[in-house]
Amino acid sequence: MRMTPSSSYPPAAEVSALSAEPLDVVGLLSRAHHPGAGAVVLFSGEVRNSNRGQAVLGLEYEAYGPLAERLIGEILAEAREKWQLHIAVAQHRIGRVAVGDSAVVVITASAHRSEAYAANRYIIDRIKHEAPIWKCEHYADGTKEWGNNCNCHTVTGDIHKHIYESDPTQRP
Amino acid sequence: MKIHVYAGLKDYFQSEFELRGEIANTDELRAVLVKINGNAGPLLSTCRFAVEEGFIDKSFKLNAHDTVVIIPPSSGG
Repeated sequence: MRMTPSSSYPPAAEVSALSAEPLDVVGLLSRAHHPGAGAVVLFSGEVRNSNRGQAVLGLEYEAYGPLAERLIGEILAEAREKWQLHIAVAQHRIGRVAVGDSAVVVITASAHRSEAYAANRYIIDRIKHEAPIWKCEHYADGTKEWGNNCNCHTVTGDIHKHIYESDPTQRP
Repeated sequence: MKIHVYAGLKDYFQSEFELRGEIANTDELRAVLVKINGNAGPLLSTCRFAVEEGFIDKSFKLNAHDTVVIIPPSSGG
């Protein structure tokens, strides 16, 4: 049997960074193969049923679309270059997302796993801190709240400077 | 000057509105908005600003025809 390499992954530009439809996690992963990649890492951020002791029914995401798309594209490009990734894709939901559904997916593929893991953490960290995307939590008691905002400025003193989990040198 | 706000700022302002009069920079804009709704002050102090899909800082000279997007701290993911 002749083994043929998987078809190359579509350019990142073909995967929109924002989606109003449920994320096709399996579909995205199924296309995330590259003959030069020995490691593929997928992170799926999913909606939890509780937050700070309150039962959560679901989340609603809002984004400033043009800037969020551009910023996520820049983050992916930086990660691709820094870790020599074969694939770097991120897609974030907007609109209502139910408990258990995926709100954000990041896929990275590289020759070896350490780069794919590191790049994946870097990408999700930067998206969470920097991309103009916000969640509104809808609680079981009927209340809702825009929350879980990045509060790095309370430590860094600068609303444009962040502390990333993936960068131990920046931890306070 | 057209103003667009997002997320928690919509608890204090309409999502889109217009301001008249000279507003030279983001510090002045923030002060004008706090005068309109003082309760928004703490959140406004943590917001970033954008014009034409790019972040700006307080040195950026605002014009009357600008559309300014006010961006609360991110909470995606």
